[in-house]
Amino acid sequence: MTEPTLPGSRNPYSAIVDRAPLPPLPGGARMAFWSIVNLEVWDISRPMARQVIPAPTGQVLLPDVPNWSWHEYGMRVGVWRFFKLYERLGIRPTLSINARVCDDYERVAAHARDLGWEPMGHAWEQMPIHKVDDQRAMIFRSMDRLESFWGKRPIGWLGPGLTQTYDTPENLAEAGVKYIGDFVYDDDPTVITTAKGPLVTLPYTVELNDIPMMIVQHHESAYWKTRVMDQFKRLYEESAERPKIISIAIHPYISGQPHRIRYLEEIYAEVAEYAGVVHMNGAELYDWYNAAAKVHP
Amino acid sequence: MNQVPPGGMLPGERIAFDPIAGRRRLELPDGKRVAVWIIVNIEEWNPLETMPRTVLTPPAGGAPMPDIPNWAWHEYGNRVGFWRILDVFDDYRLPGNLAVNGCAIAAYPQIAEAAHSRGWEFIGHGFSQKNMQKVADEVEDIRLTTEAIQRFTGTRPRGWLGPGLTETWETPERLVAAGYDYVADWVLDDQPVVLKTRNGPLANVPYTQECNDVAMMLIQHHKASEYRDRAIDQFEQIRSDARHGARVMAMVLHPYIMGAPHRLRYFREAVAHIAGCPDAVFMTGSAILDWAKAQQG
Repeated sequence: MTEPTLPGSRNPYSAIVDRAPLPPLPGGARMAFWSIVNLEVWDISRPMARQVIPAPTGQVLLPDVPNWSWHEYGMRVGVWRFFKLYERLGIRPTLSINARVCDDYERVAAHARDLGWEPMGHAWEQMPIHKVDDQRAMIFRSMDRLESFWGKRPIGWLGPGLTQTYDTPENLAEAGVKYIGDFVYDDDPTVITTAKGPLVTLPYTVELNDIPMMIVQHHESAYWKTRVMDQFKRLYEESAERPKIISIAIHPYISGQPHRIRYLEEIYAEVAEYAGVVHMNGAELYDWYNAAAKVHP
Repeated sequence: MNQVPPGGMLPGERIAFDPIAGRRRLELPDGKRVAVWIIVNIEEWNPLETMPRTVLTPPAGGAPMPDIPNWAWHEYGNRVGFWRILDVFDDYRLPGNLAVNGCAIAAYPQIAEAAHSRGWEFIGHGFSQKNMQKVADEVEDIRLTTEAIQRFTGTRPRGWLGPGLTETWETPERLVAAGYDYVADWVLDDQPVVLKTRNGPLANVPYTQECNDVAMMLIQHHKASEYRDRAIDQFEQIRSDARHGARVMAMVLHPYIMGAPHRLRYFREAVAHIAGCPDAVFMTGSAILDWAKAQQG
C-alpha cells in the first residue's frame, strides 16, 4: 500500500491571524449565513444511522423499525415544516442529499428542486463511506443521479457523517466536485490539494449541527437557539474585521420535530435584526471565494 | 498491568492521608487568598490513529479509520480557536500555562511562539496525545517532550501533565529522573502537595477535572454557559474556604472546545468574574510551586 495522503498535508497549518484579507462579501455584507438541510435514506435492511431509542437490553435489532420510523417522520412531516419556513423567508438553503432520495422520496426532492435549492452531493445512501465497496463508482453514481434530477451537476459534496477515506478528495475532484464541507477545520474557505486537482473547503459545522447537539450530546431543544445565537453574535463581532460565515446543519427528523422547529424559526427572526448579513448557499459561497482565489477556471 | 513494578509505588505510598483542615496556614503575598492558574492544552492528533475525542460518530456507529471529521474539528482549535482564547489572556494580562504535546511545537510553531513571547510557562504534556500506558517507551517519550520544549524556549520545563492525566506506576520516578519539579495529574487537593518517588520528591500542583472543558463539554455534555457558572461557583467556594489559608484553583481549556465561537464568551466571563475579585491572583504553575515550597518549608 502506498503512503496515504494525510489531511494536514493537503493544506499546511496556518493561523487565522496571519492570513491575507478575504474578498468582500456580495452587496457589502459583513457576514454570510449558510443553511444546510440534510436529506437521507436509511435502508431498513441495515443498522440505522442514528437511534433515538436503543432496544431493551441494548440488543442490535434488524429490522430496526422504531428508529427507521423516527427518521421516516422527518420525510413525511418534518421536512414540510422546513419548506414552509424557508419559503416564507425567501431563503434557498443548500440541500445535502443522498442521491437515492431522488428515487425513494421523489416528492421531497422535486419540491426542493422546484424551489431552487442547491443540491450538494451526500453519497448514494446514509452509511459511512469506509463501508462502500466501490467508493469512486458510488460518488460518480450519486453525482450523475443528482445531475439528471436537477438538470445540472452539483458542485458541492458532504460525506455521510462527513466521513472520508484518505483518497476521497481525489475521487471527488475527479467526479467534478468543486467544494466540500467535510473539513470543519477553519472559519475561512480554504484550498486543499488532491492528485486530481484542487478542492475548496467551505466551513460546514459539527458544532451548530442537530446530530451532535441533540442526538449525541442530548441537549435541550431550546439550547439549539442559544448556541446558534452565541455563535452568531461572536462571529458577527469578528466580521467587523474579516468576513465570516456561519453555517447551520439540520435534519428533518430532528429539527423538524414540533417541539424543536420554533427554535429554528426564532433564530432566523433574531438574525434578521442584524444589518449586513446575507443568506448564501454553498454554490454562491464557492463562486464568491473562487472569483478571487481562482482555484478553478 | 495491576502489579506495581519494583520501580514504582502505590499512590498511598507516595502520599499519606492528610486532611486539609488543621494544616499550617498558607499566605499569599499582598493579602491574596486564591492562586488561580489557567492551563491551555495544545495537542496534535495523529490522523493515522484513533482520535482522542470525537464530536460526531459515523452513521450506524463504529470507528472507521481514518476519522477526518473529528481530526478537522480538533484542528480548528489550533487554526482559529486558540487565537480567540489568546485575546482573553491579553485583555486581562493573564500569565498563561501551555500544556503542550512535544510534537505540537513543530506542528504549530505560531502557537508556541505566541505563548513564548508572552512569557507563558511550557508544561510537558507527552510527546503526542496518547495515554502514557500505551506509549511504547515512556522514558523516551518524556525525554523527547522535554527536549522539544527546551529547544524552543531555551529552558527545561519544570511541570508535567500526562495526556488525559494518565500515568504508569513509574511515571513519577521517570519525571524526577528527567528533572521535573512538579506534576499536575493528582487532582486530590486544593493545595500543592509532595509525592514520594524512588528518585526523590515530586510536587503536585492542583489541576482539575471539574473545571475542565473536556470533562464538562465532551463527556458530561453541558451547555457552554455551565463552564462559566461552574468556574464561578468553584472560585467562590474556594475563596470562602481560603479564610483558613490560601488555596489554589485551576481552570483548564482546549482551543477546539472553548475556542469555538459559541463557547468563548463563557471563558471570558469566568475570567472577568475572578479578575474582578481582589482576593484572586493569577499565576503560573511554577510560581505556585515556588510560593508553596517557601510557605510549607
